[in-house]
Amino acid sequence: MGLYHNKKIAFLFIFPALLLMLVFIYYPIFQNFIYSMFRWSAFSSEKIFIGIDNYLRLFKDPVFYIALKNNLLYASFSIFFQVGLGLIIAAILEEKFLRKYQPFFRTVFFIPAIISITVAGLLWQLIYNPNIGIINEGLRAIGLDNLAHPWLADGKTAIFSVIVMSQWQYTGYIVLLFIVGIHKIPQELYESAMIDGANSIQKFWTITVPQVKEMIIVSVTITIIGGFKVFDEVYVMTGGGPGRSTEVLSSFMYRSGFRNDEMGYAAAIATIIFVITFLLTLLELKISHKKDEV
Amino acid sequence: MYFCGDPSIGSYIKLRREKEMKMCRAAFTVCLIVLLLVTSLVGCGSKEPAHNIAEGQAGTSDKVEIKFLHSWPRPEANAYFQEVITAFEKDHPNIKVKMEAVGDEAIKDKLRVMMGTNSQPDIFFSWSGEFANNFIQSNNSLDLTEAFEKDTDWKNRITRSAIEPFTYDGKIYGVPLRTNAKFFVYNKDIFEKNNLSEPRTWDEFLYVLEELKQSGVTPISFGNIYPWAGCHYITGLNQKLVPENIREKDYDPAGGEFSHYGYIEAIEYLKDLVDKGYFNNGFNSIEHNMAIEMFYSGETAMMYLELIEFGEVDKDFKGNEWGFFPLPAIEDGKGNQNHITGAPDGFMISSKTKYPDEAIAFLKFLTSQEMGEKLVTTLGWPSAVIGALNENNAEPYLIKGMKALEEADDMALWLDTDIHIKISDVYLPGLQEVLNGRKTPEALMKEVQEIAKKVKEEIY
Repeated sequence: MGLYHNKKIAFLFIFPALLLMLVFIYYPIFQNFIYSMFRWSAFSSEKIFIGIDNYLRLFKDPVFYIALKNNLLYASFSIFFQVGLGLIIAAILEEKFLRKYQPFFRTVFFIPAIISITVAGLLWQLIYNPNIGIINEGLRAIGLDNLAHPWLADGKTAIFSVIVMSQWQYTGYIVLLFIVGIHKIPQELYESAMIDGANSIQKFWTITVPQVKEMIIVSVTITIIGGFKVFDEVYVMTGGGPGRSTEVLSSFMYRSGFRNDEMGYAAAIATIIFVITFLLTLLELKISHKKDEV
Repeated sequence: MYFCGDPSIGSYIKLRREKEMKMCRAAFTVCLIVLLLVTSLVGCGSKEPAHNIAEGQAGTSDKVEIKFLHSWPRPEANAYFQEVITAFEKDHPNIKVKMEAVGDEAIKDKLRVMMGTNSQPDIFFSWSGEFANNFIQSNNSLDLTEAFEKDTDWKNRITRSAIEPFTYDGKIYGVPLRTNAKFFVYNKDIFEKNNLSEPRTWDEFLYVLEELKQSGVTPISFGNIYPWAGCHYITGLNQKLVPENIREKDYDPAGGEFSHYGYIEAIEYLKDLVDKGYFNNGFNSIEHNMAIEMFYSGETAMMYLELIEFGEVDKDFKGNEWGFFPLPAIEDGKGNQNHITGAPDGFMISSKTKYPDEAIAFLKFLTSQEMGEKLVTTLGWPSAVIGALNENNAEPYLIKGMKALEEADDMALWLDTDIHIKISDVYLPGLQEVLNGRKTPEALMKEVQEIAKKVKEEIY
């Protein structure tokens, strides 16, 4: 009994895991913050202390705001399509008349999620190709020539084109999460609703949505944080271009650090990304905690 | 905490038993901790002997391993280097060369990252110009002047103009592998069908483009998703429109002003081609390789390509015949009209290498007459070794290309490797936006001037 109350011994057991966490997670975060106060390059070991200059410069840098805006767009579109549309798709797939075919649709929706992002990115680059891409060819085939557009080449449409690809890839994943969630809802609820004469839409709003609330919160968190961490899609499909129009925070950080060799500046961007995702996670924890208390 | 209320026998026994159990558990815990400590100590300890063994082995057999990083992961190129290494290791049984290859875009990042660590490759690929200067100025690259002076045979067999861009403050820091230049490659069938000939001046060029467009062919293939492709046009146009002494001063980070009007004109010339519809649609989202395919299949009439790509063109071109011409001269341009856009690339040796002599020996071997000729025959690359490319072993197009290179006054190095990286990071993506019509050439050059000023302040 004493063993379970002895904090010293408990600490001893936690210590190895704690040490690993400290060394590999917390220390690098701290170190990154320190690095962001210097002007330094990977080429040389010389570091010049410049205080918060990197942050001041960052807040004046127009590219930072383009990147931030793109991340916000990414996150909001992801919530709308992945969580919103995903939930609707899951509810439809769970309808009685579709149950029989559900495994087929589930697989179809999930397949994009298992394709590597690089492959998917190149695939979509071809889909968007202005001359031979299936989108423009399709538009021309049905006589909508004037809608054909160099999607990725135009700074106005490029970021949306990348976002669309992400939705294609990850909606199926969220759908799967929701299907699992809906499975857990007691069938009796639907039955009694049916007896009361509720239609499908009413059942969706009054039973499905409240019952999978927890899952919705989890999915929203996943997609928002994903929206702020996005890198590969942009890097593969546009490289941040044309111009800087599809730059997101992490590609901006990558470019500053490894292309322009301004490690201090990149560290400052990394700190900002950390702060944003950290705050979002805190918010999520708070919301789900509140729910538990109720 | 535990508290016993009534000291009866039963509870006494219970207490005893609990006490024993407690001791037992404590002993168990102590055992566990000891075990943990011992294993961790063993873990640490076992490392040392292993390390000693490795060192001992190296000591006894005298086998030296040098790391070699190049930028051509394609199978054919990799096979060439593997052959060179095998031959070299046969000659030098005490040296083992460990090769690694990463692509063009990736190596820019990889080298920057590696320079900050101690795991630098002994021999690494580099473009010439500002890209190489970065390594030189940060003392990451070994001074090879002495090695070159000692072995005059070696020095004399390498093209002088190819060594030049690897020189800094009169010292040589790199060994060029191949030279390179940029030409417009065109489809002769399409030209003949429209009664067109190779243009020599910009006006003739515009005429050719207009005729091609009227005939329903897309005149030029262009893949600018990574903006270096557009930057190669600007490299040539800048050098034809900006006086040479001003351009050289501007490209040096210490004196960069970029205030000459020629820079704006250069962008306008390129923009003019875009506005007139001479490029394929959506070039800013198309990869260079995809654009080449359009040229091969005859969808487009020409493309701005590098000499080192000629081998592939010859193999994959689907029409009957192809030819090439340099960027046409601009009659009233203020720059030198007899320059050619291009640059050598090659290898540098890390200043932190433990085996400088072995690394130099390998580079000497790589740039020997035999290996130079092999580079020409197997890959069709214009070797920097003098005479490696000759009538006996090279295709006529390579010889013609090399001749054009020799006739040119000088080479204009690629803009993106010739100016400071931070300037090119504004210049190149900005170019995409200008071509998209979202920024004016004047606005872009203003941004370039600002960043050039900042770079100057930061460095000096």
